[in-house]
Amino acid sequence: MPTQPLDSAAAARTFEQRSLSGLQQLFARRVVLVTGKGGVGRTTVAAALARLGAEQGRRVLLAEFEEPSSLRTSPLAGQFGEDVFPDVPRLVGENIWGVTLHVVKGTELFLTSLFRVAALARLALRTAPLRRMLHSGPSFHEMGVLYHLLHHLKATRPDKEWVYDLVILDMPATGHTLALTDLPRVLLRLVSRGPIARAMREGQSFMNDPDQAVACVVTLPEPLPVSECLELLEGLAETDVHVGAVLANRLPHNPFTEEEQAALETILEGREVRGQALLDRIRRTDAALARLGKSIGVPLILVGEVDDGPVSEGVVDALRADLRKDAPPGGLPAEPEHPGDVEDATAADPPRPSNVTPLPVRTLEPAEGAHGGVPPRERP
Amino acid sequence: MSLEPLLESKRIFICAGTGGVGKTSVSAAIGLGAAQRGRRVLVLTIDPSRRLAEALGIQKNTPKPIPLSVSDARAVGIVPPGSLAVWVLDPRRVSDETVRRLAPSPESAERMMANPIYQQVTNLIAGMQEYTAMEALHGFVQEGRYDIVVLDTPPSRNALNFLEAPRRLKESSDSRLLDLILPREGGKKGTTRRFVERVLSAVFGEEFFGDLQVFFRAFRGLFAQLNGHAQAMRVRLAEPDVAFILVGVGGEQSLAQAHDFEERIRELGLPLEAIVFNRSLVPLARRPFLDPGELSRDHPSVHQRALGKLHALARKEAREIDRACAEADALADRSDVPVVTVPEMGSGVDDLTGLAAVADWLFRGEARDHPAAQDQEPSPNGARQAPSQAPGTPPLRIANPVS
Repeated sequence: MPTQPLDSAAAARTFEQRSLSGLQQLFARRVVLVTGKGGVGRTTVAAALARLGAEQGRRVLLAEFEEPSSLRTSPLAGQFGEDVFPDVPRLVGENIWGVTLHVVKGTELFLTSLFRVAALARLALRTAPLRRMLHSGPSFHEMGVLYHLLHHLKATRPDKEWVYDLVILDMPATGHTLALTDLPRVLLRLVSRGPIARAMREGQSFMNDPDQAVACVVTLPEPLPVSECLELLEGLAETDVHVGAVLANRLPHNPFTEEEQAALETILEGREVRGQALLDRIRRTDAALARLGKSIGVPLILVGEVDDGPVSEGVVDALRADLRKDAPPGGLPAEPEHPGDVEDATAADPPRPSNVTPLPVRTLEPAEGAHGGVPPRERP
Repeated sequence: MSLEPLLESKRIFICAGTGGVGKTSVSAAIGLGAAQRGRRVLVLTIDPSRRLAEALGIQKNTPKPIPLSVSDARAVGIVPPGSLAVWVLDPRRVSDETVRRLAPSPESAERMMANPIYQQVTNLIAGMQEYTAMEALHGFVQEGRYDIVVLDTPPSRNALNFLEAPRRLKESSDSRLLDLILPREGGKKGTTRRFVERVLSAVFGEEFFGDLQVFFRAFRGLFAQLNGHAQAMRVRLAEPDVAFILVGVGGEQSLAQAHDFEERIRELGLPLEAIVFNRSLVPLARRPFLDPGELSRDHPSVHQRALGKLHALARKEAREIDRACAEADALADRSDVPVVTVPEMGSGVDDLTGLAAVADWLFRGEARDHPAAQDQEPSPNGARQAPSQAPGTPPLRIANPVS
């Protein structure tokens, strides 16, 4: 992560933000870009953030990006019992509107803003070559999609309030995310005047302002995903997108004390038995969290693995705890409680920390940022 | 099931799948396994993780493929005539080379590459990255320096993007589209043309629209050629020496995507030859349960507590393994191509030893239904991670708490 600029306002902001948990960091903004490598649970996290934001009484727009290929269903819409989100926001849950950001729709909105006549814009878009061009010209696709997003970002109600006061973006895969976040800069180098330049500057005023928009980078507590997460953090910094928090997803529950873990090491020396694969996962998790804590410089949100039941609800539960949590003094997380047996874990009433080893307490850098540990709830 | 038989007749392996399934590692492991079996192999990859790149001794942005060092190659059992080279495809570089090759003259190539739009927009036209990958693939196969070329497709949320690239490329080089942007020399403007031109000027601004016209004028001929090549490439990819390998992991969503992909690839008439079920828990089913009573007499209570908890962990693991087995069975039933299982490798596959272990699983094959018949011969590289107990492990009393 880049070092914060040394002006006093930024320093004050940094100080304030340090006392917020990861989720509080995210919800202190209007726009959250949920990003991360494929397969880390990005979509589930985006849906959970939307549900939680709605629960806080915010009007949430949950947006995903149109895929050029022909998948029939969207996993994000699936979380709300829909096949796909339409290109005009639709109420999909209490206080949640779902939308697919779409190049043709975005361009239609853009043309309407230019011509002031929607019918003319639609007529222009009915010409087949123009539509094809939007799908395949240099960066036209990203431009249209970004404009569609901008349209909803700046939408206000008659009382001057934002139509959506929380916008959750389920970003595409890493490479495409960076192509999108970098686009305004790239285009402004090519075109300094005119409507496109204006739209791109307006887009930057939302997306590159750390007080308005932050990224939530989702990762898994495993060596490769952590490496990829750190690379993505660098990439986002290069495109001037500020990162509000890193979310380590699907942390395995660790039932062992350090003593017990040491004992297992002697017992299992040279053997391969059942349960060991999960034990190895727990060990890798510790190492991965330690590495994240040392390197990320922003709060880390921990979400425990959810065994059964609707996944998104489990994640919502985990995140809710992070949001409610009092700011740890000096950014230090509370000492995790001691674990019980795996056997009674299902009956556990006070939620326990997902990671029982005290390791994260020591290694997550309080100097760099507050840390939010989330006690997972094992579902009965 | 194994990929071994494919080595006899296939020269091009294309690994496809959604993001996060280990496509890059599987591609590298296919290359490594083929090289161990005496083939001269090139792996074309797009975006390897830094650690994997380091392990393979490669860097991004090199002008040529980098061969694995002799000592590294020998360490994983690659000996002449076998060889392994890896090239990280840089879309910009490949696209520059394409421009140089296809431009009518070196001067015109330089002019095209100096165009500001060309310089700023890396993924110049939709499908370009995928196309350049195919182009590079084809070039290397033609050249004859390699027996086998393995392509790791660009990362995307959706496995199908790669397959649709030629169509998207065709659309962007559509001559009607170019006619629309470029005023015809001395031609008469129709009403539609004037209207569209007005729209485009309004959208892009007069200045930028002018730049765009210059760009499209310069690249027009090139697009037409690219289009022709992309069509030829589609035909090439349907030939019998090509093998598409779908890489997937467990989980409902992943399997549904794999299903979509299979259908689509068949619609396109492309040769899907195998499915690699990566990071599978299925091979763990061979491991014995540790009896918590085993250590009861001679060991302190902390050991007993630890074993009790491990026992509970084993039961949880057993449920996951059962689920994985059911998924693998369903996949095998549904597919008429071999399903090759690669186990979860724990720490992640980011070094040569890890890749060699994956290669063993890919090429030696593991008959999942008959664990007893499993091939226990050590691999030539000694890097095998045996799924069952290591030799010399003390016998354990086996208790299956699940049944």
